[in-house]
Amino acid sequence: MAPKVVELQDVRREYQVGDQTTVALDGVSLSVERGEFVAIVGPSGSGKSTMMNLIGCLDRPSGGQVMISGSATKDLNDNELTQLRSRSIGFVFQQFQLLPNTSALENVMAPLLYQGVSTKKAKQDATNMLTRLGLADRLNFDRNRLSGGQQQRVAIARALVTVPEIVLADEPTGALDTKTGAQVIDLLKELNAEGRTIILITHDLEIAASAPRRVFLRDGIVERDERGRK
Amino acid sequence: MNLIGTARLALNRIWSTKVRSLLTMLGVVIGVAAIVALTSIVDGASQGINKSLATLGTNQLNITSVVPDALTEQDAKALAELDDVSVMFMQSQNEGTIATESNRVTARLVGVSSEYFYAVKPEIALGSYLSQNPAATNSRDVVFGADAANDLGLTADMLGKPVKLNGQDFRLVGVLDDQAGFGTSGRVYVSLDSARRIFSQYPYVSSIVIQANSAETVDSLQIAADRLLRERYGLGEETVARYVITNQASLLSAVGSITDTLGLLLTGIAAISLIVGGIGIMNIMLVSVRERTREIGVRRAIGAKQSDVLSQFLIEAIVLSVAGGVVGLIFGEIAAFLLAIIGDWTFSIRLDTIALALGFSLIVGVAFGVWPARTASRLEPIDALRFE
Repeated sequence: MAPKVVELQDVRREYQVGDQTTVALDGVSLSVERGEFVAIVGPSGSGKSTMMNLIGCLDRPSGGQVMISGSATKDLNDNELTQLRSRSIGFVFQQFQLLPNTSALENVMAPLLYQGVSTKKAKQDATNMLTRLGLADRLNFDRNRLSGGQQQRVAIARALVTVPEIVLADEPTGALDTKTGAQVIDLLKELNAEGRTIILITHDLEIAASAPRRVFLRDGIVERDERGRK
Repeated sequence: MNLIGTARLALNRIWSTKVRSLLTMLGVVIGVAAIVALTSIVDGASQGINKSLATLGTNQLNITSVVPDALTEQDAKALAELDDVSVMFMQSQNEGTIATESNRVTARLVGVSSEYFYAVKPEIALGSYLSQNPAATNSRDVVFGADAANDLGLTADMLGKPVKLNGQDFRLVGVLDDQAGFGTSGRVYVSLDSARRIFSQYPYVSSIVIQANSAETVDSLQIAADRLLRERYGLGEETVARYVITNQASLLSAVGSITDTLGLLLTGIAAISLIVGGIGIMNIMLVSVRERTREIGVRRAIGAKQSDVLSQFLIEAIVLSVAGGVVGLIFGEIAAFLLAIIGDWTFSIRLDTIALALGFSLIVGVAFGVWPARTASRLEPIDALRFE
């Protein structure tokens, strides 16, 4: 059995808004093994964004345990959480979220530079990664000169360049047309085939269907955990 | 991320919003330029005053009579015998009427004893100086200060021509080059005895000037001179004398403290504009943090620590402020250079001014950059990512 890279044990997350307490996750347990391709599916308000934040080490649980690469995030301070995130998580966002006034190459170099990698090495790795994703001729373009599909590929390159344990993709096709969206999903499948762990967060059942495992969330709890191709 | 990488991000941002960055800097540019220019004005002013004072001679004590018959030639000779006196000269002066064939003005007529020339070393613009032969004390030569010559409309071809002083005939022998003088340029000089005859002042003199042989002995000489004169007139320590002794060193230090205070005041005013400039930077940085909330969120998500975000924004504020300081320094020095030409003083780039300008702008950058940078670094990544 492959090691567990994500392990949620009875995770609760509550938010305090004014004097109202909102329960976003109400006792969720889930584990993801290395090399899996999991879709976390649910309508808005189901708790999937909260789940993404917890798995992505952007947030800490109110109760229960979130273990990422063997570390419990609850006990970490901001700095340690950032280091864990930097080492273990590669983010792909719905709106691509490339940095402004920054070339494709610099975008992909950024996570490496934040890890303390030398500029020279970062440049080399980022160039290789962008070349692999077919963007060798777009290295110096900033986001204004890239199409949506290209921007999302730059974002994927940025997520992969640190060789993270987990690629966390939040509605990665949400801002793309169907054809380009399908290409992005194919790219994620390809990466999974190479052994990467992919966690895909989506409300779109059709997109979710491309993942071999689907976790359905509703009202802060896991409704269903399906495996196998449909 | 290391400091160079972070600095590059800050510079990149400043460069990509050039116009806004320039406008943000403007306050600091003006503040620093004002400090540099004002410092230079104060410098120039005190330079000018000191230069003017120096034309009166150095290490001098001026003993001036308060009433017409307070000091005599005998007093002067006794004073000249004191230890540490290198030169003594006497002056007899009053307002007088000066006339050529075509013009007539009123000026201060000064009779000087022959040692005046050695003590003051006046520069001659035209012709020659009064004879220094002690036997020629009664000569009828006259020398004009530059302004007095202008007032009377003297020209070079009038050298050797007659001039009437209070109706008496004199001969113009020279004009001094004393424009920089301490208000003395409007004077007209004749020999001591000629002046005393014009003013019917014999055997009295208006003032006696003694020069100490070094700066260290001026103060003790002042005490000795006072004691000597009191003895001669049988005055007690407490009696008010009919003469006043002024010490040029004390005048210089008084001027020095005035210009220092003036400098402090002007720098203080300029510093206020620098603070206003700093507030401008802080304001724009706060706006910038808000505008870039999402970017901050993304940076945090891809591995930026709080300290990375903090230093990125802090460096940005410091670069804006210091760049403003450098530009302000350049403008300030240009202004100082032009002012020096207008005010006719020596222009020099002072290292302490440069250090002051850059130091101040650095402090402003840090002081007003910290708050926005802290605000940026303390944003919660999830809130920042969700920010619209």
